[in-house]
Amino acid sequence: MPRTPTPKQLRRLIAEREESRGLLIAFEGPDGSGKTTQRKLLKRWLESRNHDVVSTRWASSALVKPMLKVRKKIRTLSIEEYSLLHAVDFRHRVETSILPALWAGKTVLADRYLFTALARDAARGLDLDWLLHAYSPLLWPDLVIYFSMTPEDSRRRIASTRAPHFYEAGQDVTGIDDPLASYGRFIDRVVTEYKNLSVVFQFVTVDAGDAVYRQHTRVRELVEKAERRPWSTFSKEAVQEWLIKANIQGA
Amino acid sequence: MADQGKYPGRLIAVDGSRGKDVTVAAGDILAALKRDGIECAVSRWDASGLFTDLAAGGRGDRNVSIRTLSLVYAADLAFRLRWEIRPVLEAGGVVIAAPYIETASAFGTICGLDEEWLRLLMRFAPAADFRGLAQERKIHQPWKRRTDRGYAEYGAVMLETTAPKSVSKAARRRMMEQLESSSGRKVFHLSNKGIGLLQKALIDSRKDASRRSSSRPRNGRK
Repeated sequence: MPRTPTPKQLRRLIAEREESRGLLIAFEGPDGSGKTTQRKLLKRWLESRNHDVVSTRWASSALVKPMLKVRKKIRTLSIEEYSLLHAVDFRHRVETSILPALWAGKTVLADRYLFTALARDAARGLDLDWLLHAYSPLLWPDLVIYFSMTPEDSRRRIASTRAPHFYEAGQDVTGIDDPLASYGRFIDRVVTEYKNLSVVFQFVTVDAGDAVYRQHTRVRELVEKAERRPWSTFSKEAVQEWLIKANIQGA
Repeated sequence: MADQGKYPGRLIAVDGSRGKDVTVAAGDILAALKRDGIECAVSRWDASGLFTDLAAGGRGDRNVSIRTLSLVYAADLAFRLRWEIRPVLEAGGVVIAAPYIETASAFGTICGLDEEWLRLLMRFAPAADFRGLAQERKIHQPWKRRTDRGYAEYGAVMLETTAPKSVSKAARRRMMEQLESSSGRKVFHLSNKGIGLLQKALIDSRKDASRRSSSRPRNGRK
């Protein structure tokens, strides 16, 4: 059985990997802001330049998705349960898909990252400190692209395509029967929370009202200029924990 | 976020390193209180079915960390609080939480998590009025690899490949030590004698509470 690496070995492993590891890019923004479109365009562009790219979507881990889906459907989740199950999904994806891909030098595009949970759950009334704690140790993205739009525009775009789901519309906290009316009120709070987070976590903003190609050009520029946030400073604990779990001993 | 609420009811936490022992201890308390005419409810691990679903789902994926499992424990606890524990406490009843916070905290700690992280994660749960430790049986044996017995046994299955040391015989011993040492307040060791003492303490506290409420000053009365 391989021995657990010592703290010194872990620090060395991380330092050696800093240059060759992949970039973690998070796409954030209200529903209907065009994150998925831009993520797909960026993926295609990066792949055309011979980058290995992995995408990861919100609430998508094979382990958690089925149980989350059932419980959302029957609307039995309390605010805490909703939040904690998303934290389970996030942690599992970080450990089983995001970190392994980054370690292997692949670029990871996250269609929503933990900021989605922070904004939505804080909008539901949960304490931000507790939320950050539940999601810790944090794996900081190298770049957070925030697709900014007003709550009214988000509501309009959603209304033109579909009725929002119960939890997406925040009906569990607004108590409003009409999904769209509830969404209108809920997204207002979510956008406010996003604005607060954007300062702390240094989001780079893209205007979601711009033409798609213009946004894509801007995203390309941002990615080309993006620099790695050193793991040893920002994400040491998260990476070390994963290295121990994954039994990674060296290159 | 932290539940500072003072409920009229009483919460008894029963923790232990083995699910079966915790279940037996909860059953013994239930029977003892019933003999005294005190009805109480029992809230058990995995009432939400999250752990069962997790073991069944994910196409047999066992690549789960202790941090992920602890988050599932917290989600299950949130479910139990909402449906099984808080309603009884609010109604002034007695509820046995078997297991409660200490089990997750001790198991998580021996698997390498920071105890403080675990405590803060579960700070939405009210503090127990009484804490009991189940009598440990088969103490020289490691956990049985079963997903239906208790949290630690479940962990033994899920962490077997990623953290085998966390689920060894020695790990179980460390968990028992951890449970013993993490007692900030009086802990009842749930032998027959310990259950008797817990029962007495519960009855006394209910008497105290009713005495306090009946001795409130009443306006216009001499």
